Amino acid sequence: MASIGTGYDLSSTIFSPDGRVFQIEYATKAVENSGTCMGIRCKDGVLLAVEKTIISKMLVPGSLRRAHIVDKHASLVVCGLISDGRVIVDRAREECENYLDFYGRPIPGAILADRLAHFVHLYTLHWSVRPFGCAILLGVHNGEKQGAQLYMIEPSGVSYRYFACAYGKGKQAARTELEKLSLNDKQASPQISCEQAVKDLAKIVVSVHDDSKDKEYEIEMIWVRDGKPAAMVPRDVVQKVHDEAKREAEADSDMEDE
Amino acid sequence: MSILQPNASVRGLPNADPRVASSGFKLGEHHDPYDPLDVAHPAAPLSRHFHPYEDNGGTVLSVSGGDYTIVASDTRLGSGYSVPTRYVSRVIKLTDKAVLASSGMHTDIAILHKVLRIRLTQYRHRHRKEMSLEAISQLLSTILYYRRFQPYYTFNVLGGIDENGQGWSYGYDAIGSHEKVRAVCSGSGQYLLQPVLDNQVEFRQMAADPTRKELQLEPCVELVKDAFTSTCERDIYTGDLVEICRITAKGVEMEKFELRAD
Amino acid sequence: MEKVIYVNETDAQRKPLLPSASSSVMSGLRLTAGVPLKDRDDSVLASAAGAPVKHTSRPIVTGSSVIAMRCKDGVVMATDTLASYGSLARFRQISRLYKATDHCVIGGGGDMSDFFELCETVRKETTLEYCYDDGHMITASAIHQMLARIMYNRRNKMDPYWNYMLVAGWQHGKPVLGYVDLVGSHFVSEVIATGYGEYLGLPLLRKAYREDITVEEGKKVLQQILTVLFYRDARTIDRIQIACVTEKGVEISEPTKLETEWSYKAFISGARASDVSTW
Repeated sequence: MASIGTGYDLSSTIFSPDGRVFQIEYATKAVENSGTCMGIRCKDGVLLAVEKTIISKMLVPGSLRRAHIVDKHASLVVCGLISDGRVIVDRAREECENYLDFYGRPIPGAILADRLAHFVHLYTLHWSVRPFGCAILLGVHNGEKQGAQLYMIEPSGVSYRYFACAYGKGKQAARTELEKLSLNDKQASPQISCEQAVKDLAKIVVSVHDDSKDKEYEIEMIWVRDGKPAAMVPRDVVQKVHDEAKREAEADSDMEDE
Repeated sequence: MSILQPNASVRGLPNADPRVASSGFKLGEHHDPYDPLDVAHPAAPLSRHFHPYEDNGGTVLSVSGGDYTIVASDTRLGSGYSVPTRYVSRVIKLTDKAVLASSGMHTDIAILHKVLRIRLTQYRHRHRKEMSLEAISQLLSTILYYRRFQPYYTFNVLGGIDENGQGWSYGYDAIGSHEKVRAVCSGSGQYLLQPVLDNQVEFRQMAADPTRKELQLEPCVELVKDAFTSTCERDIYTGDLVEICRITAKGVEMEKFELRAD
Repeated sequence: MEKVIYVNETDAQRKPLLPSASSSVMSGLRLTAGVPLKDRDDSVLASAAGAPVKHTSRPIVTGSSVIAMRCKDGVVMATDTLASYGSLARFRQISRLYKATDHCVIGGGGDMSDFFELCETVRKETTLEYCYDDGHMITASAIHQMLARIMYNRRNKMDPYWNYMLVAGWQHGKPVLGYVDLVGSHFVSEVIATGYGEYLGLPLLRKAYREDITVEEGKKVLQQILTVLFYRDARTIDRIQIACVTEKGVEISEPTKLETEWSYKAFISGARASDVSTW
C-alpha cells in the first residue's frame, strides 16, 4: 500500500497524477475492515443491522454501540471507526433538531443524507483534517406519504439511496445475498416486512461471518417502522433470530458434509 | 387589569405607570393601559419595567446560648396578598454545626442555598474537614457582596457552634454586612420579633440580677415557639409552620411546630 | 415603546449578533405585534444588526390561569384553550398543556410565544434523552428544576420568559406537582393555581383537597373551578382541557365545552351582587 501512494497520499488536498485522492481510499479501507453493516428498506419501515466485533470479553454486552437513534424518526449505523462515527451521530442529531426548529417538521431523509454527505465531504477537502474512517447507513421514515428511506454515506462524501445495501468486511457476499431477497415488486415497492427482514439480515450476517478467521461478534439492529419512533430491535429478538440462523447454517453445513 | 402583570398594584408593589394609579373613567377617553392594541395614546407611552424582585416574606431567627444555638424559620411563601404555598423550607443544614435560615425572595434563597452547598462541598473535598462556623459566616458575606449591584434579595441568619463549642448567631443584610450576636432575627416579622429577643434572651432593660442564669436550650425553644406564634398574629407573611433547628454538640435536630394558617 | 437595553457597545460594533434562533431576535419579531408599523422594522433590524436589543417588558399574546391538584394516584391539571391579545379573544383553540414525556405535563400561562419556546427547549432535551436510548428518561422534577434555572437565568438578564408554569408528573411511584414563574420562583405543592386562579381557584382547591383524593375526583374539582374562573375572569373561554398524569402515563383530554348556568340571580341585570352568591 505504501508504495502505491509514493508521496501523493500524504494529504487529501493533493491528487495523484492519475486523478485519485489516496487519503479517501485509505479511509475506505478502514471501513472495509469493519464488521459488516447492512440496511434494507421494507414495506413497513427500514431496518439496519451491524455485525459488531467483540474486542474484549471484559466488555459488558451491548457496549460500544454502532447503531444510533438520531431523532424520533431517524436512525443510523456506523461502519468503520466507532469514534469517527460518533462525530457524525452528533452532527446528525444537530441537523435533525435544527431542521425541526426551523421548518416545524421532521427532517426528510434526503435532506438529512445530503447534509451529512456535505459534512463528511468537507473533511476530504482541507489539509488540517483527515477524512472520516467510517461509512454511515441511514434509515429514515417520513410518514405514510414519503415512507421509509435508506441511504449510505461513504467517507468520500457521496451518498446514494438504496433498496438495500451493505458495507464492511463481508460487503461483497452480503450484497449478493441481499440481491437474492425479493426486495421489490415491479413498481419498486418493497415486499418484505421488517419482521421478516430481521431474520433475513441475521442469516446474512451469519453466512458472511467466517468463524475460523473472524473474532466473536454480536448483532445490533435498529429500525424505524410505520407510526413508531426509531428504536433498537429488542436484544432478545435479535438473539433469537441469530441463534436460529446459526442453527440453520450448521444444519446446512452438516448436510453438505454428508 | 390583567392578572398576568405580576407587578401590578394589586400585589401591593409600587406601580410604575402613573396612569394606572390615577385611573378612573373619563367618558370617551377610557383605554386599557395593558391592551397591546391600544396604540392611540402615543403621547403617554406605556413604559412599565420588568421587576426582577419579589418579596415572598418569611421570618427567620437564630438564638444562641452557651453551648447551643436555635435557628428557626416559618414556611409560608407569600406573594402579594396571596399564599401560593404553605410549605417551603427556608432553613438549610450546612454542616453538623451550622444552619442557615433565609427570608426574602424565594428564588434567590434557593440559588443562594445552592451556591453555599456547592462551596461547602468543595471545601470539604479540598481540606478534608468541615468549614467552621466562623469561616461560613465570612463566606456568606462574600457571596452576598459579590452580587452587590444585583443583590440576592435575601435576609439571612446563620447560627451554630464554633470551634470552642460556643453557640453564636450571625445576622446579615442583603449585601453581606453582618454582625456576630447572641440573638437575631430577620425578614417580614423582624420588627415584631427582635424586641422580644432583645428583652427575653439578652435581658436588655432588665434590672441587674446576679442570680439570673442564661437561658437553657429547652426554655429557649419554648420562647421561640411563643415568639413565632405571636409574630404571625400580626404579620401576614409569617405563618403555617415553623421549622426549629436545635444545634448542639450532638448535631442538628429539627422540630416542626404549627402556626396559624390563615 | 419598549424598554431599550443596550448590549455592550464595543462588543456590538465588533461582533454583530447573527440572526440565529436566539431569543433576542425571536422576541424582536414577536414584539412587532403590538408596536406601530413605523417602529416594526427597527425592532427587528436593530437586534439583528447588533444595535439596541429589546427585551420582553410585557406579555403580548397571553394565556390565563393554570390550575392543578396532586392526587393519590396521579396529578390533574387544567387550563382553558384561549390565548388573548390584550382584551381580544385572539386564539380560541390553543393548547396550553404540553406533554413533555410519557410521565410529565407542563401547563403554561402568560406570554404564549415564550411558553411555546420553552416547550421547544424541553422537547429538545427529551428528544436527546430518547436518542441516548439508555433506559433513562428525564423526570418531572428534573424538568421542573431545569425550567426554574432557565427562568431565573433570564430574569437575571432582565429579559424574562413571561410565564407562569406548572409541571405535573409521576415518578418513582409518586405524583409530583411544581410551580415556576418568570422570576424563577419555584416550589412544589399539593394544589397550585396561577393567574386569577390563584385568587379565585386556590381557596377552592384547598377546600377540595384530601390526601386520598383520586384523579377522577380531582378532574371534577378542576372542571368546577374553571367554570368559576370562566364566570369571573374576562380573559377566559368556556373551552377547557384537562391533563392527567398517572402511573399509566399522560392523558390530555380533547378540548371540551364547559357547562354554564347564567340564570343565577346575580348574573341577571339589576340584581345586587349581595343578593346571592355566584358560587
